[in-house]
Amino acid sequence: MTGSIRQRLMLLVLASVSVVWVAALVSSYRQAVHEAGEWDDARIEQAARTLTLVDTNDLAALTEDGFHASDDDGDDDLSRRLLYEVRDAEGRLLAASPGLPRAAAKEPPSSQAAAGAVAKYDSLKWNTYVLHDAARGRSVRVFERSDSRTDLGAGVARRIAKPLAYALPVLALLIWVGIGSSLAPLKTLSRAIGARNAGNLDPIDMRRTPAEVRPLVDALNVLFSRLRGSLDRERAFTADAAHELKSPLAAIKVQAQVALTTRDPAKQRLAMQRVVEGVDRSTHLADQLLLLARLDEGVPAPASTVELDAVARECIAAHEANASSKGIGLVLNGDTHVTTLAEPALVRILLDNLVDNAIKYGETGGCVEVVTRLTSEATLLLVRDNGPGVSEQDRLRLSDRFFRGGGSRQSGSGLGLSIVARIVARLEGHLTYTSGIDGRGLGVEVRFPVTRSPSSP
Amino acid sequence: MRVLLVEDDDLIGSGVEEGLRDAGMTVDWAHDGREAMLALTTTEYELVVLDLGLPKLSGTELLDWLRGRRDDTPVLVMTARDTVADRVGGLTAGADDYLGKPFDLTELIARCRALLRRAHGRSVETIEYQDLSVDPSTFTVTRNGLRQPLTSRECAVLVELLTHQGTPLSRARLEESLYGWQEEVESNAIEVHVSNLRKKLGPGLIRTIRGVGYVVEKTS
Repeated sequence: MTGSIRQRLMLLVLASVSVVWVAALVSSYRQAVHEAGEWDDARIEQAARTLTLVDTNDLAALTEDGFHASDDDGDDDLSRRLLYEVRDAEGRLLAASPGLPRAAAKEPPSSQAAAGAVAKYDSLKWNTYVLHDAARGRSVRVFERSDSRTDLGAGVARRIAKPLAYALPVLALLIWVGIGSSLAPLKTLSRAIGARNAGNLDPIDMRRTPAEVRPLVDALNVLFSRLRGSLDRERAFTADAAHELKSPLAAIKVQAQVALTTRDPAKQRLAMQRVVEGVDRSTHLADQLLLLARLDEGVPAPASTVELDAVARECIAAHEANASSKGIGLVLNGDTHVTTLAEPALVRILLDNLVDNAIKYGETGGCVEVVTRLTSEATLLLVRDNGPGVSEQDRLRLSDRFFRGGGSRQSGSGLGLSIVARIVARLEGHLTYTSGIDGRGLGVEVRFPVTRSPSSP
Repeated sequence: MRVLLVEDDDLIGSGVEEGLRDAGMTVDWAHDGREAMLALTTTEYELVVLDLGLPKLSGTELLDWLRGRRDDTPVLVMTARDTVADRVGGLTAGADDYLGKPFDLTELIARCRALLRRAHGRSVETIEYQDLSVDPSTFTVTRNGLRQPLTSRECAVLVELLTHQGTPLSRARLEESLYGWQEEVESNAIEVHVSNLRKKLGPGLIRTIRGVGYVVEKTS
């Protein structure tokens, strides 16, 4: 379905018109030829009857003058000469046209011959008509050349077809112009869109759009509004990210300046350590931002069967040192061989963020528990702590980018849980925040649908 | 000069605290809005250095609260949100100065000094008193062009008394302005500093008002 709509419509319309015209032409031609044939037969019959009545002497005179049956409409393009022979009851020739085909003359008149027969003499086709008049003892045969009839038919056809042949180019021109002007709104629309600058995502004015173009404009407007939404989110995110990056930068600068100005070597050393810490923090923030951006790109990696408890075990091993430095116990509970279909890397990132958060915001000497559970309707992953927890009010905002729970002195990126939320959405799971161990702290529950059967690809 | 620093970020907070302390200020560091509120109700500060993005109680709310109780302690706001609109909003809400992150520590200190100076009605850093010339930013005291050997604490006591000329300051008030929350204060620390000042600069400079405190008389 490529090329120009105008050309396609043009071809379709002209082809249809031509087919209809040809059909009409053929049918009219047939009708006309049929009518003409009947009229010719009647004429020949009449001529034959006249010849039976003509006196023998007059017959001779007629033979000299010739016997014509001209067209009634005065059209002389066809020579409609009739030939005849008249015999008496004994078969003697009374009169005959001079041009009578010799073969026809030799042939004895058959009593069976009747109107409308076609005979072939001297390699020419003739329409013949035989009339026996028993009362007068005459039999008359009239001949007419068949091709004169064909000529007549061709003439009729020409007359019908000629005006149509002239009309076709005119019609084509009219259709071309008509289609062009009907397609003008499309041209106006594309010009209007083409003239827009990249930042203009306002909806297209629909007031003067024809009904056929409206779905297109509708679809475009929906696309525009979606684009605007994502562009706004992008801008807000960039602004937030820039602000967030400023904090560690400010810390690095302040600490570096302290290191430069202080004369106390111990303080200098401490300040330099804090500079390093600040760089680590910005690196972590940049990593998280990149991860979030990659998740936003939404190119899914191939999923495979993931054993949640196995991933949890790896994750716990990786965070063990960090947890024990804060005096936090890290345990894995629940069912084993809990599988789900997911991108393995994403599950690990999800767990890393949850466990890291739980350790970070947990209480010194507290506990962080990872639970994997398999129920009939879902696969569950639960990470909970017994730290100070998060208020109901703040839980609603936990997945927001750059939101940090109130009162924490932890210098996280504020992106951990929004990354978790993004991953859970991507794995078509469900994320809920509950209270943690024994009603204290925070619990994060991720529910994977069990319908993601491991057998499907 | 006792300053309240309100900052939730450990790295920035510790750096600023160190820098302000190095500049001779007594710094208390509050990590969130509530802590800052408590500090402001119990202690008198000459300056508040305030971060806006705070947990529990935001910097803006704290500023509103502070100005709402007719407290006109100078406030310097430092924040990562430093568009013109943010600055205008902050200054309108009652901030005296605005500094965008990341900032220069020396600039922060200079701005703090400027705010303190203005609060004391001075337009230049150096305080002139009779034949004394005191520069609080460098802890240098000169008499007739000759530098006097004073410790930073002695200098701080002198600056405190000179900025409140004619108003007697109690020992507790002087202690409060010299020592932060975490610092141990010996019970006779202020007496020792005053006595040292009298030894170095002459006995007539600081007068003791029995039962009230110390005062430097206003120059007529």
